[in-house]
Amino acid sequence: MIETLLLVLVCIIIGGILSSLAVHLMPVGGAPAAMATATGIATGCVMLMTGAAVTGLFTASTVASFWATNPSVILVALSGAVGAMLMMGFTMFVANLIYIFGAGVVPCSGRVAVDPITRESQTEYKTPRTDGHGVPTVSYVSGILGGFSGGFGGALIYVVLVSDSYAHFSVATAGIVAMGIFIANAIIAAYNIGGTIEGFHDPKFKARIQTGLTCALIVSVLCGVIVVIAMLTGTLVGGVM
Amino acid sequence: MPVISLFAWMLVIAFLAFIACMFEDLESDIGSQSNPNSQIQLAPEMGYIHRYFNKAISGEGLSYALSCTIAGAIAMLMLLKLEPMLVAKGMSLGYAAVLAIPVGAAVGSLVHMVRASTCYVGREAAHKRFEQPIYLDVFYGHLLPIATHNFMAVICITAIAYIQSNLGLLSGVAGASNPFPLPLLCLIWGLTVGAIGSSTGDIHYGTERAFQDKPFGEGRRVVYHGQICRYGDCGIRTSKDVAAFCAKYGGPATGLTFGLIVLFENWRTVIGMLLGGLSVEGLANPAVAAAGGIGIGIVIAAVLTILNRMLEKWTRDKYGPFVGE
Repeated sequence: MIETLLLVLVCIIIGGILSSLAVHLMPVGGAPAAMATATGIATGCVMLMTGAAVTGLFTASTVASFWATNPSVILVALSGAVGAMLMMGFTMFVANLIYIFGAGVVPCSGRVAVDPITRESQTEYKTPRTDGHGVPTVSYVSGILGGFSGGFGGALIYVVLVSDSYAHFSVATAGIVAMGIFIANAIIAAYNIGGTIEGFHDPKFKARIQTGLTCALIVSVLCGVIVVIAMLTGTLVGGVM
Repeated sequence: MPVISLFAWMLVIAFLAFIACMFEDLESDIGSQSNPNSQIQLAPEMGYIHRYFNKAISGEGLSYALSCTIAGAIAMLMLLKLEPMLVAKGMSLGYAAVLAIPVGAAVGSLVHMVRASTCYVGREAAHKRFEQPIYLDVFYGHLLPIATHNFMAVICITAIAYIQSNLGLLSGVAGASNPFPLPLLCLIWGLTVGAIGSSTGDIHYGTERAFQDKPFGEGRRVVYHGQICRYGDCGIRTSKDVAAFCAKYGGPATGLTFGLIVLFENWRTVIGMLLGGLSVEGLANPAVAAAGGIGIGIVIAAVLTILNRMLEKWTRDKYGPFVGE
């Protein structure tokens, strides 16, 4: 029993930290990106990451139902990761289509002079008095990695909560609790970022990731303890729904 | 035959997803919700008195999650009441859905319209110090387009959730249904549809339509912020003119994003299930089914990354470096 509780706690902590890492990897331009004044996707970190993670969660829930009992933790978590990755991939690709053909701008980074992946110069393609625009290759790759990390984290929390070998919550309760833990971590990470970020190449990422992951650890431990208490008292076993 | 039926339902879901996300984006354009709203909000402070509708109930994802969850909850309650009555009379269960889904979506849209009303009046009242009036014709004139576009999005999402939670019954393949209950599926797709509408379609409105009198082909400089375009082809522009413009590119592109996501998510799962020995009784090998879906997903993500790189390269060559000051 103690091992099961510890395992659930550890999985929630890993899932929470991966969720926070995912938000830091998102190429998020917020409101300025909607006017092509900043590089990245034109929405907030939490909104985008939650949208991606719940898409992953949907696929993870379908895949978890393949097994009558004891779903494979790693395969379900990977299914969620790939689902979130695809959501990010399509969203960033179509966003670039609108930037290029709807607004006529070239995707370029505002934070680095040279794209670290393609080695192409960015500065001369940038509109003066903006912070870049569109989703350049390095931000795209960062977003794909972020989607993978966030989807894996969210689905990992879900599968340990729903599996009858671990927490054994009902499907709906496990889904809601997993989303809750994910969103708590995502919001803390969004506060840490404080506005816009382009991805792992952004100087902000290196400067703030340590604080972000430390906060995610604390939040995830707190969430994990609540889940463990729910397991011990049997409050959510079988589910409230 | 049941497997073909599964693919057919998957295509229906993808089609509904396309419609849902397109209408979601156009609704957010009519109401100036989400990120470009920052400009509508800033305009009176810059001396640009306007006749745009101004609402930012919350982020689009949360706003749509609420509308869709209300619709899903109402629909589920009606289904729980109506289905036993139909069974008792020996009628098909589908008749219950035909009534429950539109009624649920109508309630979700009405609640959305109420939030849009309070939001517009509250926001514009706060702009009194910048001499921005509350135009009652703008207020009344936009509520119906907001509610109808929202209804289209919410009814499609509720229908998607209904199909997914009953897919096993509809296609005849055991275990094909999603285990989540209807309102939770509505919450999930509501969040996703809002996140995508906010991420993609808003660019066409915020960058192009709201600043159509500024040079095309450049990011909107910070000095332009708040200086929105207030005149239409004939007379003064309102937010209804924005929807007509964005329906030609931003809206359908946004719909395509969600449609493709739902299509490929379901497609790779079904192909994985076929690899895992899917039959009418269920899956023979769940691990192979899951691994197959993961493998296909990774290949699709790699192809997308390459496509994005090719698009970026093409744009850099075609458009060239920035010209001007």
